[in-house]
Order: sequence, then C-alpha cells, then structure tokens
Amino acid sequence: MSDLPPASSVKRWLVTTNHKDVGVLYLLTALFFLLLGGVLALLIRMQLWVPGPSILSGRAYNEAVTTHGLLMVFWFLSPFAFGFANYVVPLQIGAKDLAFPRLNALSYWLYLFSGLLMMVSFFQGGTYDAGWTMYAPLNIPEYSPMVGGTTAVLALLMFVVSVTMGTVNFLVTIHYGKAEGMGMWNIPLFTWSILLTVWMMLFAFAALLGALLLLGSDRIIGTLYFTATGTEDSSLLWAHLFWFFGHPEVYIVFFPALGVMLEIFQTFSGRRLVGRKWVILAMILIAVQSFLVWMHHMFLTNINLEIKTIMMATTIGISLPFDLIVFALIYTLVKGRVQFTTPFLFSLGALLLFILGGITGVFLGAVVLDYEFRGTYWVVAHFHYVMFGGATALFGALYYWYPKMTGRMYDEFLGKLHFGTFFVGFNLLYFPLFLAWETPRRVFEYNVELITWHQLATIGGFIVAASFLIMFYNLYVSYWNGEPAGANPWEFSRTAEWAIDSPPPLENWPGRASYADGSLSFIETPSTTHAADGGQVAEPGVVEEFLEVHEPTETEAVHDEPHEDHASIWPFGIGVGLFVLFLGLSGLHGAELQGPHYLAAIAVGVGLSGYALLGFGFEQFHAPEAAIAERWPFEGIGKTKLGVWFFLASDVVVFGAVIGAFIFIRAGMGWGAWETVPPDPLPGLVNTFVLLTSSFTVILALVAAERKSKRGLLGALGATFVLGLTFLGIKAWEWSYEFSIGIYPQTSIEASVYYVTTGLHGLHVVLGMLIAGFMLYRIYSVDAYLEDHRPVEFFGLYWHFVDIVWVFLFPLFYLM
Amino acid sequence: MMYPTLSHASPLAPLPRLPGDEWGTQVQLFEEIFLVFLALGTIVGIVVVSYTLYNAYKYRDRGEETGEYDRPVLGELPTGEGGGRKLFLSFFLSAVIVISLVAWTYGALLYVEAGPSEQGTDENLDVDVVGFQFGWEFEYPNGHTETNELRVPADRVVTLTITSTDVWHNFGIPDLRVKADAIPGQTSETWFLAEEPGEHVAWCFELCGVGHSDMVADVIVMEPDEFEEWYEDPEAYENDEEADEDDVEEGEEAADEAADDEEDADDETETVAGAVVAR
Ligand code: HEM
Ligand SMILES: [Cu+2]
Ligand SMILES: [Cu+2]
Repeated sequence: MSDLPPASSVKRWLVTTNHKDVGVLYLLTALFFLLLGGVLALLIRMQLWVPGPSILSGRAYNEAVTTHGLLMVFWFLSPFAFGFANYVVPLQIGAKDLAFPRLNALSYWLYLFSGLLMMVSFFQGGTYDAGWTMYAPLNIPEYSPMVGGTTAVLALLMFVVSVTMGTVNFLVTIHYGKAEGMGMWNIPLFTWSILLTVWMMLFAFAALLGALLLLGSDRIIGTLYFTATGTEDSSLLWAHLFWFFGHPEVYIVFFPALGVMLEIFQTFSGRRLVGRKWVILAMILIAVQSFLVWMHHMFLTNINLEIKTIMMATTIGISLPFDLIVFALIYTLVKGRVQFTTPFLFSLGALLLFILGGITGVFLGAVVLDYEFRGTYWVVAHFHYVMFGGATALFGALYYWYPKMTGRMYDEFLGKLHFGTFFVGFNLLYFPLFLAWETPRRVFEYNVELITWHQLATIGGFIVAASFLIMFYNLYVSYWNGEPAGANPWEFSRTAEWAIDSPPPLENWPGRASYADGSLSFIETPSTTHAADGGQVAEPGVVEEFLEVHEPTETEAVHDEPHEDHASIWPFGIGVGLFVLFLGLSGLHGAELQGPHYLAAIAVGVGLSGYALLGFGFEQFHAPEAAIAERWPFEGIGKTKLGVWFFLASDVVVFGAVIGAFIFIRAGMGWGAWETVPPDPLPGLVNTFVLLTSSFTVILALVAAERKSKRGLLGALGATFVLGLTFLGIKAWEWSYEFSIGIYPQTSIEASVYYVTTGLHGLHVVLGMLIAGFMLYRIYSVDAYLEDHRPVEFFGLYWHFVDIVWVFLFPLFYLM
Repeated sequence: MMYPTLSHASPLAPLPRLPGDEWGTQVQLFEEIFLVFLALGTIVGIVVVSYTLYNAYKYRDRGEETGEYDRPVLGELPTGEGGGRKLFLSFFLSAVIVISLVAWTYGALLYVEAGPSEQGTDENLDVDVVGFQFGWEFEYPNGHTETNELRVPADRVVTLTITSTDVWHNFGIPDLRVKADAIPGQTSETWFLAEEPGEHVAWCFELCGVGHSDMVADVIVMEPDEFEEWYEDPEAYENDEEADEDDVEEGEEAADEAADDEEDADDETETVAGAVVAR
C-alpha cells in the first residue's frame, strides 16, 4: 500500500493502478509501437520501389515483413484499443476502476516488457523471420536459426499472458460492475464491443497460448512437434491451431474500432443508433461464429471438398451480420445533424474503408477465386483495408476522447488536415495493391509491368507516415496550448464519461453512479466525501445536475471502504523480473546454451520475479468496489471467484489445444501406431490416487476454514501440499528413470508429446503448491483465511481443475 | 476448340451441370467469375459509398433544428432509434446478392475440384512438383526431372501433384491461374491447361525462408509435337536448341501472330522471367 504521487512525477507512472493512468500508458506505448511497425513498413515499401533486392537482404526483408505484421497486429492495434477500453469502459458503466486494478497494471507492464523483448530480439543475430503466421516447420530453429527468433516467440508468449489477465479483468469488470439500472441491453456500444472482444480473446488467445507453448518448447527444449516433416503428423497442426486463434483475432482487432464508430456516429449525428438491438445481436453472432471459419485460410491445402464447402458457408454467414451493422450506421445519419468534426471524419473514413475491405473480402470467400488470391497482394490490400481501416476509427477515438483525457481541445484544422492527408495516402497506398494483385505476398521480386502500382503505393505509404507527423504535432501542441475543453465538448454526447470533469478526478465521481431512475445520477452519501489519495479533498468533479446526495442505505454503509488504493510497485517489478527471465530463456535456443550470461539472466529473473510476486502477494490492496451493481447473470458469485472461473475457462482451452495437438498427431499417424512412452503405468496410477486424495483434503481445508479452525486448516492444507509434493516426487523419479533408459523429450514425437503435456500439467501443480505454500505461511503467521475463507475456496477450484486434467491425461498417456 | 468438361469418371461424378456448361481452362473460369464479382462489387461499392456520403452531406448540421426531433441527451440510458424496416430491407438485399454470388461460384469450384476429363485432348500429362528451399523440381512420368523449369505441351491438360521436402511452399503460375500448397508430408493436386505456346513464371506464394523471393521457375509451354521431341530426349533437344537459337525465335513469332492482345502481356512477362532468373 502506498500513496499515489502526482502526475508530474515519474514514480506515479511506475506505481499507478488507476484505470485512467493505465489507459494513457497503453495508448502512448501502442503509438510507439505504431511508429516502430511503421518504420518497418516504410522499409518494406522502399524495397518494393523496384523489383529485386535493394536496401534489404532476403533475410532482413523477411524479418521486416514478419515483425511489421507482429508489431502492428499484437503490439499496436489491440493495445491501442485497450488503452481506450481502460480509460473509458469503467466510466461508461459507472465503475470506479477495473475489477482488479493491480492485475490491470500487471497486464500493462507485461505488455510493455514483451514489446521491449521483441525489440531486443533484433539484436540477437536477427529476429524472427517466418511470417506473422509462423507456419510450421519454418518456425523451428532448423529453418529459422536466429536466437532472436526464439526471443520473439517468448515475447509473444509474454504478450499473450498479459492479454489473458486483461481479458479476465475486463470480463469481471463489465459483468460485475455496471451501475445500478444499467442492464445488458443498456451497455453503451463501445463497452459492448469491448465485452465481446474480451469474450473472443478469452478463448482465442488461449488457443494461441497453447500453440506458442508447443512452439516455444520446440525452439527451447528441442521437442519435435513441428519438426516431424516427411510424415503426415503435424504438417497441418500449426495451421489449425494458429487459425483457430487467427480468425477470431481478425474480429478481435476490429470490434473495438467498430464500437468507436458506433459511438462516434451517434454523437456527431445527434441520433441514437438505428436497430440497436439488432446490431448487438449481430455482434454476438459474429463473435460466436468467428470460431467456426478458421479453415477458410487453408483452402489450398488438401482439406477435402466437404470441409471446404462448410467453411465457405460459414464464411459467407459471418459476413452477413456485418452488412446489417454497416447499414445501421448509414441509416443513423438519416435525419441527423451531422457534424464533420475530426473524430467523425475518421469514423466515416473508417466506414468507407471497411465497406471496400468487406466487398473485396467476399471475393476471397468464393473458394475458386481464393485459389488464385491466396498468398497475393489482393490479400495484403484486403486485410489492410479491414484492419488498418479499423484502426482509422481508433484514431478518431483518439481525437474524440482527447479532450476528456487532457482537458484541452485538439486543433480542429490540424485534425482535418491529418484526416485528409491520411485518407488520400491510405487509398494511394492500398488501392493500387488490388491492381497489382498478382504479386506474391512477402516477396520483393515482381513482374515489372506492375511497377507503377507498387511505386504509387510506396508514395502513399510516405504520405500516410507524414499524416501521422501532423497528428503527433497537433496532440503535442494542444496539450499545452489547446482551448480548455470543459466536461462535455460535444453537443450530443450521451455516455457517463462526459458528465464528469476533464480529465476526471482519480476516483471518477463522488459516491456511486446510478441509472436506477432511468438516467444518470451520482449518488453521494455523506460518508463517501472522504479525502482521496494524495491528501487532496475530492472535488465534486461532476456536472452539477447529475449530483444527488442522500443518506446511505444499509448496504452502502456497510460496504463503503474507508480508503482505496491506487498504487503498487509490484506489477512493475514482476514485469522487470519476467523480462529478464524470458531473455535468459531465449539463450536456451535450440536446446543449446548460447552463453553463460543467459544462465545468469535466468537466475536473476527468477529471483526478481519471485521477490516481486511475494511482494504482490503480501501487499494489502483495497480495490474500489461497488456494493450495488448490475450483475446479471452472475449475481450470486463473488468478484474474485468470477475471475477464477474465467481464468479456468481459458485454461481449459489451453489444455484443449495441447491435448488436441496430441490427438491430432496420433490420429494422423494411426491411433495404434503410437508407442506409449512410460514403460510402466504404475507410477501414473499411484499419482492419480495421490491427486484425487489431495482434492479431498482441499475440501477438508475449506470446511476447516469455515469452522474457523486454524489447526484443521493448517492440517488439511498442509496435507494437500504434501500430496502435491508426493505427486511431483513420483513424477521426478519416473522421468529420471525414463531419461536413464534413453527416453528424452527430443527422442521421438511420442516422447515430446508425453513430456510436454504432462510437464504442462506438472507446472500447474507447481504453481498450485506455490500458492498453497504461501497460504500456509499466512495461516501460520497471521491466522489468515479464518475470517474470510474465500481464498481457500478459490485455491480449491484451481486445484480441482488441475486434478481433473490429470484424470484425462493418465489414461491418454499411460493406458491407451 | 473443345474444352474439357466434367469427368464422369471422377469420384464426384453425379454433379449438377455447370452454368454455361463448358468453362474450359482455369484462366477462362477465373476471368469469368472475377469479372462478374468485379462488376457487382464495383456497383455495390459505388452505390453504398455514394449513399453514405449523400446522407452525411444531406443531413449535415445547419446549426438549428429543422423539425421536431428527440435528440439524445447526456446521461440517458442508451437505447436505440426506430427505423428497423429499412434496415432489414437493405440487409436482405445485400444478403441475397452475397449468397447468390458465392453459391453461383460453387459449381465452378466443383468443376475445378473434380478436374478435367480427357475429352478434347490427348490424355493428361502428370507432373510431380516438389518444392524445396529454394527451388522447384518437376518430375515427368518417364522419370525425367527438371529443376526450376517446367516444360509442358500446349492445349493439353497438365495435372500437378505437389509436395515439399522441407517447409511449406506454394506453387502458383499467375498467368495460368493455377496454385496449390506444397506441404511437407502431404500432397495437393491441381491442374491447368495452357492453350497457346509461350513462357510464364511460376512463383512461390508461401513464405519459406531467405530465398523465398527468388523462388521462381520458368514455365515453357511448347507446341505439342515440339514438346514430344523434347520429352523423348531432353538433352539432345536442348543441345539442338543451343545450336540453333533462331528456330525457337521463329516458333515464338508464329505463336505471337496467332495470339491476340492478351497474349502480348505474356511476352512482356518473358522478359521479366528472364531477368529474374538471370539474377
Ligand atoms: C494498423 C496498421 C497495420 C496493420 C495491422 C498491418 C498489418 C500487416 C500484416 C499482418 C502484414 C502481414 C505480415 C506477414 O505477411 O507476415 C502486413 C504486411 C505489410 N504491410 Fe502492414 N499493417 C499496418 C500498417 C501498414 C502501413 C502503414 C504500411 C505502409 C506504409 C503497411 C505496409 C505493409 C506491407 C508493404 C506489407 C508486406 C506485404 C507482404 O509482402 O506480404 N502496413 N501488414
Ligand atoms: Cu479468417
Ligand atoms: Cu517460398
């Protein structure tokens, strides 16, 4: 627990957990990665000025294309959107912060450090060069031998961990923290889009995490998942895993932009959205369907006609809801009072670009045409119209919320100039690529006949780049000299963020937000007018008409926290620790140590992150929490429990991906042809009993905690710990025996799969024991969990899950 | 000229007849479908974009209310506006266009998948294509292999069986509208038919490593009897060819004369191919 320093101090930005601060950090960091990805894009475009190699070698070109794609999709687009989500979603739903502010800060720091790791990879003899789609087996060290390639994979892994935590956080925040009176249908559309985005992320990124774990283990330990060339086993494995993530990812990056468009169209046309319910339903439909189309990226492989037909149908199916949304946006303008401000221009521009991207996408949906378009610049042009077109709306969002974040107006003329240059540059950059579509993608050789189109595109690229200079200049100058914006600079804004000061005070508003009587009010109870952090007295900070003061109701009086925290240094510390650790791990590239300093880095990294994790665990931190909120359909479930459930749901998908990979490979080589790895099922059987027993002791621990019996709790939890230890001990013995008879993870595909899958489970056991050890210490030292036994319950959930996974693994690997 | 039609011997035999019945080469097939998509896409694009801009302009803010409207206010609980009927009408229309377009191409897909029959041609020429870092190997039925040069006869269906020895590649000849993945451990099949003699370039369409950009092969479509001559004894033929360059030039000139504007493009491709390969 520490106080939050003022915004002018650097320390503030290292310790803050406040959603608005974190949002700003996300935005600035994402813009930095936009610049980095943009520079790479310009390098690519310069190389394409004439066919043939010029400024970049073959390898450097591949690295540029690959990292441009990775940086733009992962480190720019989504985090940029989540900068806004961080800032705006709690305001829109009437929450004081995200559900888990420290976890949110941790997400941010892992994001930043994963990006830094990505940057370091350039200096390790070369970074990853196998395309952002990372197709196997090009992705293994044999074919992409640079150490930096391994670092890039680890960076992505770290990024995915950050995303997973952010996902759980937003899910709980939105489902758990909506102001009284705001039901699901009343959620503002930007927040709706974020809600659906995180739902998709929860499952899609888990699949990616599973895939990356396998890839990471291939690159670091030297397992054989993606090496098995010349056999049918795994040549399509990566493609399936990647695109199961990859297609939803398309909507994951687009939805926030769509939400922004929906919001901005309403504000600057002075109209509510036409067909609002249908739009929401359409978005839900898209989110669900997005998991059913992935094989349309594999039409040129040898998947059979029936599957192609199904995928073609689902692909058309998913394009239709978008039609509805586009028309809803257009009809919203009708009878409006359309104001052509900069944010609106960007949103309108985004809509036009998206229409073009959508139409050219229908071409790809027709399989016969896709046969010719795949791997060409048609695809490049199409996905830039869709993704970068989406990002266009996000730049609109930057102008839209800039006055809220800074308290000052941007310069309208410069804003329009930015839009004009950007829009012209964009179309000059990408439209010619449709005309040059016969050019193979990721290639710098092309038919000279197409040179005009490529040169136009390169010029367009530089114009787009220049337009961003205008933007940065505008935002910088306006920050110091802009007109004061006031609480609400827009005539027809509706959502709650405009009812409070710009920038909003630390805790957003006094009291709590409520829509109970059909419109927004901030209900202040005398007891809540306490001093906020930093010693300042909370200003009302609210447009007067929304303020209401009344005596606290009973629930409020009980739940009102006396002091809420907004600072913790530990998320930053964990970020640093994991950064060093992952950097060290990259030195194990190709199962060979690349130098002793890497070992040192691993040791330091483990120490640092362990220390920071402990600090995190012991810190007392009160997150702001509303006593009264809309929680359908999760009313009876506590906040943390909900978080644990969401986390476990994603973990199910991670295991699903890893076990799915096993089944895929095994089915590919013929179920019976698989050689069971463990020479003897007995240790596995014993371990099954050990784990089942430990599930039982966890239940006993909970019972003891409920009875407030310290001794019982210590005993039962201690027994769980010992059983976990037994499990690991037997496992260690078993593995060392297998090593001794020459079965290593690198020995055969069977051995790889066996060690990785059961090893991943083993890691889960280790993690559970670390938590159990921590809890035991706290029970022993401070009598923890006797008053509030919920943490024991959450641990139990996790532990049961780990046990259930083993119940699946045992027969799969020992008996079948 | 006769074009191959759907083979009744194929495993997918009981198929509906194709629209237009005889689509011929993949080039014609693609051209026809692409054109229809392009035309409709352009029309739809222009209509929708203009309609959007028209509305945005028509309803621009003139600074005052022109009628009785219930404008949204700050702090209201979000709800929607009416006007659903028009929305659904437009949606329905667009759905009909998209679905019927894609459904229409489905027949063509079946045709491409089933592969051509022998009708109108001699029997097919089967070539095995093997991608490797960084080049292409072509193996003919008589066991002859070529690297980075694919010679085929004009006006005869060529079926390709494609695989790879290392990483994913993708074999494609843009001029002839043929393309398939080259995946280690798996084979993909496709076919093409070149109507006229000429030269084309095959590219790799899947990132495969440092040499990906240079992974090109020459595709030489020959007069059928000339092809036979080459096929009987490639080495002798190539020696001949070197000895007498003029012959080839003549042959190509003859082809040029027979060709129309479209084929002119092919000629220019030749030079590119030459340049690329020379590097
Ligand atoms: C939000 C912004 C952007 C996103 C999300 C994005 C995304 C991507 C992705 C995913 C790829 C594919 C990489 C791969 O094949 O491995 C790519 C390629 C490329 N992008 Fe971008 N990009 C963005 C902005 C730009 C800009 C501003 C430019 C030009 C100045 C640009 C030019 C290119 C070029 C030339 C390629 C290479 C195409 C190829 O050879 O396959 N992109 N981009
Ligand atoms: Cu997709
Ligand atoms: Cu290639």
